Amino acid sequence: MLLVEDDVRLRRMLRLALEDEGYRVSEAGTGRDGLENLRRQPHDVVLLDLMLPDLDGYDVCRELRRGSGIPIIIVSAKADSHDVVAGLEAGADDYMTKPLVAKELSARIRALLRRTDPSKATAPRTVALGDLQVSFDDWTVSRDGHRIALTHTEFRLLAELVLAEGAVLSREQLLERIWGYGYFGDDRIVDVHVHRLRTKIERDPANPRLVATVRGLGYRVAT
Amino acid sequence: MTATAAVDQARPGLARGVRLGLRARVTVGFGLLALALSAGLAGASWFLVSGYLLEQKEAVSVVQTSLSVEALELALSSDPGDIPASIDATPVNDRTSALLDYQGSWYTSSLTAGPHVLPTELVAMVGHGSAATQRILMGGQPYLVVGTPMATRGDSYYELFSLAELDRTDRTLSVVLVLAACVAAGLGLLLGRLASGRVLRPLAELNSAAAGVARGDLSIRLAAEQDPDVGELAASFNRTTAALERRVAADARFAADVSHELRTPLTTMLNSMAVLENREAELPESVLGPLHTLSDELQRFRRLVVDLLEISRDDVPARAEDMDEVAIGDVVRAAADGATGRNVTRVAGDVDGLRVPGDKRRLERIIVDLVENAELHGGGCERVDVRRGASHVLVTVDDAGPGIPAGNRDRVFERFAREPGSASDGSGLGLAIVSRHVRWHGGDVSLGERPGGGTRIVVRLPLRRQVTA
Repeated sequence: MLLVEDDVRLRRMLRLALEDEGYRVSEAGTGRDGLENLRRQPHDVVLLDLMLPDLDGYDVCRELRRGSGIPIIIVSAKADSHDVVAGLEAGADDYMTKPLVAKELSARIRALLRRTDPSKATAPRTVALGDLQVSFDDWTVSRDGHRIALTHTEFRLLAELVLAEGAVLSREQLLERIWGYGYFGDDRIVDVHVHRLRTKIERDPANPRLVATVRGLGYRVAT
Repeated sequence: MTATAAVDQARPGLARGVRLGLRARVTVGFGLLALALSAGLAGASWFLVSGYLLEQKEAVSVVQTSLSVEALELALSSDPGDIPASIDATPVNDRTSALLDYQGSWYTSSLTAGPHVLPTELVAMVGHGSAATQRILMGGQPYLVVGTPMATRGDSYYELFSLAELDRTDRTLSVVLVLAACVAAGLGLLLGRLASGRVLRPLAELNSAAAGVARGDLSIRLAAEQDPDVGELAASFNRTTAALERRVAADARFAADVSHELRTPLTTMLNSMAVLENREAELPESVLGPLHTLSDELQRFRRLVVDLLEISRDDVPARAEDMDEVAIGDVVRAAADGATGRNVTRVAGDVDGLRVPGDKRRLERIIVDLVENAELHGGGCERVDVRRGASHVLVTVDDAGPGIPAGNRDRVFERFAREPGSASDGSGLGLAIVSRHVRWHGGDVSLGERPGGGTRIVVRLPLRRQVTA
């Protein structure tokens, strides 16, 4: 994984602690370093601080999202509501506030890296949703033969909803299944991801036909 | 001690009761002024009118008496023998009786009015040859006596006129005037009340604004006043409140900034500690004790930093967009059972599935802090009840501890309020955060006694969204 953090001491210690948890960690002290590092070598996940000396975390996030679906976790001292939403909207998969320890990070990382698959062996490997084809073989979504680029987490969100076959999934259920949070995870993570998913798969994101909101309950796919 | 306090408290109340308020004083002043003015006017009018009426009556009576004397003298000169007939022959007027002192003898036209009713001074004056009038009372009724000397020496003639009618007129007049004075005084009071209300309106507004500030709403401002006298007061009130608001915001920001600046080094320390603990086996036994103490204190420090930020923000009351419809029963159950690791929550049937406006994260904080407080300081959390009231959802947290003395109950919700000598693992901010978060929801929290001992904390959350001005 890549750890982008400008505070040297924190970066060293967090790297040591994450290595104790069994991860291989690369370090970057600035946003540009981080982007450069990601071009050079593949990573499974990025841990990103928001306050960086050159590009800030939001910019790095947006830059990364141009061509990559890699899970990004923002790790920031900023805990205000609007910072969290801005981070998620910039493309992050999860947002964690300092102070935190490597074990807590590790739980989030493991949750994000999970793959969602149809549990039943007989389940079809490709499911149609409206005019979309959702393939569990190569983890892709396509419309009329054109692939739609979803991030890892967006695909898992869509997959959970598709596999529920029209049943309503509450935000708490989605938080638990995709992000590994308990009952009290932050609902806005789900809302922002659903919004992002809609802008990618809906023909008219303002009038979603594929992923419907059930007021007060959660989300479901149209059947 | 308690009795003294009660007396001390009673005293200002008593003083306030005796001393009239500004508005009452202005009103009474106006009333008294109006009463004095109208009473003065009424008195003067009564004096003038009744004097005038009496004067008129006297003048008429004197003229009538002199006409009678002329007729009497004429009759007596033609027929000096029949004196009573001569008296009767005088022209009819509104006299009630006539008396004649003729050549040393008294003659009268009435059975009741003899010469004894005539005042001696009057008789003496008339006897000396000058006409005179006097008011007398006869049988409780007022009369006017008009006495006239006659042409024949030493003789005099008197007529009595009833003043009863004049007296009635007088009385009616005085009643009317007293009534008028009362009405004027009433109008004065009313005017005083209206005028003082108008003058004191800015004060009343100031009063309610100050009360709002005292409740903690620092955003209250008075409307700009056109009146230069009042405008200055409103302006300085607004300046003071704005300064206070800035000061409070600056304090909150400082606490938030401190908390924020501590977060990165604290994260470094926590992860260093994690690395050390992962390598505990490699460390000499002698450092393990201090290491664990350091680790525990670091956890406590972490909690303090997080709580400090939690309490220094969220000063603003809830806005609609922060509110969600929350399944309150589920939230309380998940938070309380999660915090205790036991099944402590009882959700009433009519709360099942009930959604109330709220913020899940803050509600979790409320319940978890209350339950952890009961677990740490209250001998364990006995049970958590969720019930539905008329306008609120009531969440009750009972503990098994010895309870908190009534005098200390308010202090519990203050920041860093700790029982003396208790080595707490908490930040000391937990219940202060609870109180703040409950208020954020438009609810309230109170602490009392559980039947059978122990502490009971009741959180009331509104069923419907509160409209905050």
